Amino acid sequence: MQPDVNVAPLPSIPRRRDLARAHHERGGLVAAVLPIHYPRALLRAFGILPMEVWGPPNVDAARAASRLQPYVCSIVRNALSFLESGGLQIADLLIVPHACDSLQGLGSVLLDFVHPAQPVLPLYLPRNPAPEGTAFLADEFRALHQRLAEVTQRTPSESELMQAILDEEVADDLLRRVHEQRPTLPLTTFDFYHLVRAREFLPLDSFVSLARAILAMPAVKSPPKIPIVLSGIVPEPMDMLRAVDELGASVIADDLACCGRRLYPAGRSRDPFMRLAESLLGGSPDSTRGSPIQDRLDHLLGLAHSTGSRGVVFHDVKFCEPELFDLPVLRRGLRDAGLPSITVEVDLNDAVSHQARTRLEAFLEMIA
Amino acid sequence: MTGIRAWGIDVGSSTTKIVGVEAGGTMCLHLLEDSEPRAEEQIVRMLQRAAAASGDQRVRPLVATGYGRKLVQQADRVVTEITCHARGAYRALGHGGTLVDVGGQDSKVIKLGPQGEVLDFAMNDKCAAGTGRFLENTCRRLGVDLERLGEVALAARDEATLSSTCTVFAESEIVSLLAHGVGVEPILKGLHRALVQRLVAMIHTVGLTPPLMLSGGVARNPAVARLLEAETGETVVVPPHPQLLGAFGAALVALESVGERPGKP
Repeated sequence: MQPDVNVAPLPSIPRRRDLARAHHERGGLVAAVLPIHYPRALLRAFGILPMEVWGPPNVDAARAASRLQPYVCSIVRNALSFLESGGLQIADLLIVPHACDSLQGLGSVLLDFVHPAQPVLPLYLPRNPAPEGTAFLADEFRALHQRLAEVTQRTPSESELMQAILDEEVADDLLRRVHEQRPTLPLTTFDFYHLVRAREFLPLDSFVSLARAILAMPAVKSPPKIPIVLSGIVPEPMDMLRAVDELGASVIADDLACCGRRLYPAGRSRDPFMRLAESLLGGSPDSTRGSPIQDRLDHLLGLAHSTGSRGVVFHDVKFCEPELFDLPVLRRGLRDAGLPSITVEVDLNDAVSHQARTRLEAFLEMIA
Repeated sequence: MTGIRAWGIDVGSSTTKIVGVEAGGTMCLHLLEDSEPRAEEQIVRMLQRAAAASGDQRVRPLVATGYGRKLVQQADRVVTEITCHARGAYRALGHGGTLVDVGGQDSKVIKLGPQGEVLDFAMNDKCAAGTGRFLENTCRRLGVDLERLGEVALAARDEATLSSTCTVFAESEIVSLLAHGVGVEPILKGLHRALVQRLVAMIHTVGLTPPLMLSGGVARNPAVARLLEAETGETVVVPPHPQLLGAFGAALVALESVGERPGKP
């Protein structure tokens, strides 16, 4: 079955390398940022262009084999391999949020053994969403601010910082609206993620323009498709999304760590660091932030009910501990609530297997 | 032969099957061959055989299933094995429950609702343990005819313990057991036990709703059904022609596509 909703020409997305070069020419620095949560506005306030590193897919992961255990996921393994093969030479600094044990381990490996040319800045995230967690995270951001000042040899004023935060809040709001509007956007599932994931590396103005262009696309009433919710960390390999389109389904909402879990609300405080922390911790429940499983279950059920989705596809990267620990409880909870689900386990370096496709196909037949 | 209203073809990893059904969904013709590497040529030849045997030169409507379903250019529709086995089992037995399908390349557990609808499923598609290939490989090593495998295993008074369900390691373990003087029969029984325990683990992932049904080529092996009963405490129901259930279900889907509803068994 051919996708039939791609009626509008897609906005073009510049290449990362070109963006980095242009940013350097303007005197700015580029930060390679590992998953998942980080204060984008804080980096922008220092004139730093954040470029997220979700793997990337399809690199020679063997380079990391000597430093990482075999049970480390391909996101972390690929990131280290990519770094060691020179793929991150465009970056002037590396930021490693401690989203999980593997990423925390990668931060230590980089600092203690690899010693990359760029400074490595770890970022500790609280596992407690209570007020103490917000205060802790605000302190982490203050410490990061200090490190960034040392790296860049400049310190933005508080008003500059607050302006960067307000600008990012506009972009976050646009991203949220794009997600909300997706049922009527003239985009295939593949194209939707191709566009919204540009948030991972585009400069602010470029992303705002892109989001506004997406929102201005003529609404379409698509032919009936099987609406599903996609959960997991990152929709790689992206061919799985092509399979969703070809099989007559549509991802109508997502609980992906790189997308739906980062639709941050605006913070409330006037203190910039507290405001950043409130925003980041205000996102939807996330295994990597230690959210209670019941919160995640309620969120998934809410997403499915509000969008009329008929099932949930858990698209999980092999060895992803935070996700896989929650998975059995989440699936049992969904089943008890009458919402079917399926798990498709992937590796960033593998093509979508015939078996995975069959599994997805059978699931769609079941819920159609 | 006339009166065939719809066709199903199941291109499996071990065998390729074609089934024709008449009005009401009764199976009235079937063909089965070992799958060949040149699947498309084999499909053409088998469809010609079906046409000659039935007098239906068109062999339509045709639904394809199995791992090679996308290779059936002649098919009006392709449907996964999960849906087809469920459809076939319900038409053959007339009730829901838990269907275990052990194929050559993978194994599946399908939970069927009271009307035969698929409620949930689990697939072992990453590892040869728990598949027909697991038995095939090891019986070759033991020099036992595949058709007699279950019978020989059930005749064993003792049972060897195989610590690995990995096909490759199990083969190494078998060599070691033989070298220590353990007989073929106890090894075979242990081998079947390992396979069945793997299936039972999958059954638990979807939950066991009786009755327990068994399909696929391995269902013809009596030791699998017997040990499955012993491990679950449930009676195992094997439908007629368990190896044809996928193709049968595909034919039933084809029948529905022309507005006819399969009847009851």
